[in-house]
Amino acid sequence: MELFETIQANLLSPAVLFFALGVFAALVKSDLKFPEPLYTGLTIYLLVAIGFKGGVAISAAGFEKVWLPGLAAIVLGALIPLWTYPVLRFAGRMTSVNAAAIAAHYGSVSAVTFIAATNYLDAVNQPFENYATAFLAIMESPAILVGIVLGKLASRSKGDSLMKSMKSATHEALLGRSVVLLMGALIVGSACGEAGMEKVAPFFVSPFQGVLALFLLEMGIVAGRRFGDLKKVGGFLVAFGILAPLVNGFVGVLFGQAAGLSMGGATLMGILAASASYIAAPAAIRLSLPEANPTLYLTASLAITFPFNITIGIPYCLAVAQYLYS
Amino acid sequence: MNLHAMKLVTIVCEAYARKPVTELLSKVGAHGWTLFSVEGEGSHGKRFADIQESANIQIEVIVQSDVAEQLMEKLSRDLFASYAMIAFESDVRVLRPGKF
Repeated sequence: MELFETIQANLLSPAVLFFALGVFAALVKSDLKFPEPLYTGLTIYLLVAIGFKGGVAISAAGFEKVWLPGLAAIVLGALIPLWTYPVLRFAGRMTSVNAAAIAAHYGSVSAVTFIAATNYLDAVNQPFENYATAFLAIMESPAILVGIVLGKLASRSKGDSLMKSMKSATHEALLGRSVVLLMGALIVGSACGEAGMEKVAPFFVSPFQGVLALFLLEMGIVAGRRFGDLKKVGGFLVAFGILAPLVNGFVGVLFGQAAGLSMGGATLMGILAASASYIAAPAAIRLSLPEANPTLYLTASLAITFPFNITIGIPYCLAVAQYLYS
Repeated sequence: MNLHAMKLVTIVCEAYARKPVTELLSKVGAHGWTLFSVEGEGSHGKRFADIQESANIQIEVIVQSDVAEQLMEKLSRDLFASYAMIAFESDVRVLRPGKF
């Protein structure tokens, strides 16, 4: 019963309502549209703001508290593609390259889903470790690399190209824009500490919720436009897009608990595992596994898993954590 | 005025193909190129150009006709299968042929 109440509370947050507005605008074919540079600008703002905040939290908490759950996050990110790949390949009968591409997206993470989860925890007064942003930053790349290796190994038609494409994939996965922004802001934030936070807070903290609402409006439009593709991708992928976050979210909370995080922190680890990337992973996969079909992984990630997570997945992860910690 | 016959190769492709295409351009010996963001619709569906995943670009490059030939051949052999892309060439006349 409590789960339904918390889902209801989550649905009435500005972020989710603006997301719904965006979906509505796309479905009724409104001419509402954000120019691409604005989308990119909002992304940069959000990543820098949460990276900086997380970095300040690391400097307050000390690195010795962060490394173990950080390691858990990396292992978790690298493991998720290893169990999602066979499911997609054999239960979903996808080609090996498509299965690997989707697996990489589900192992990697969505920053906005994570931000929505921290908002939600704030709203229900559930404390969490502020340095959890560090886990977001380091969990972005491992799954992409594992996914690309899986895809390359399975399609060994051009044997000698593996090394070359791994090189460019590693570059893209470790030095792509979102990773550089997030990691960079984390480092800057941890170097500046609280004193630096005071200086940038009027820009990076106060307007944050408004920017997030605007970004989710755009995400709603982007996701809503892809709802038409749901028919194309088929029932299996739709089911996968919902079941994967449920399973991965559960495992993520377990990892968080094992790594010694609080209930709130484990919830965030759960939502990181449950979320699917749509910024870092598509860019890296498009360059490294260009033969994979973008409609499949973008639709699954943007039109199924993202809406599912910000409405139901987040309260679900908290409910799992409450169950495991009780 | 002293005008010289050259080929203008136009490539319209998804934004993610930018790197492979521009790398190919320098490999075949093009001396420069111009790139702009575009949107449209084609066999890969409508390109909304709202996020980078669905953004399209147009790359224009002026080259000697033998370079154009090579470029078209390599585009169709190496990149057409993997990326949303079209390419065409046209005749142009330029000033200062040494720039191309």
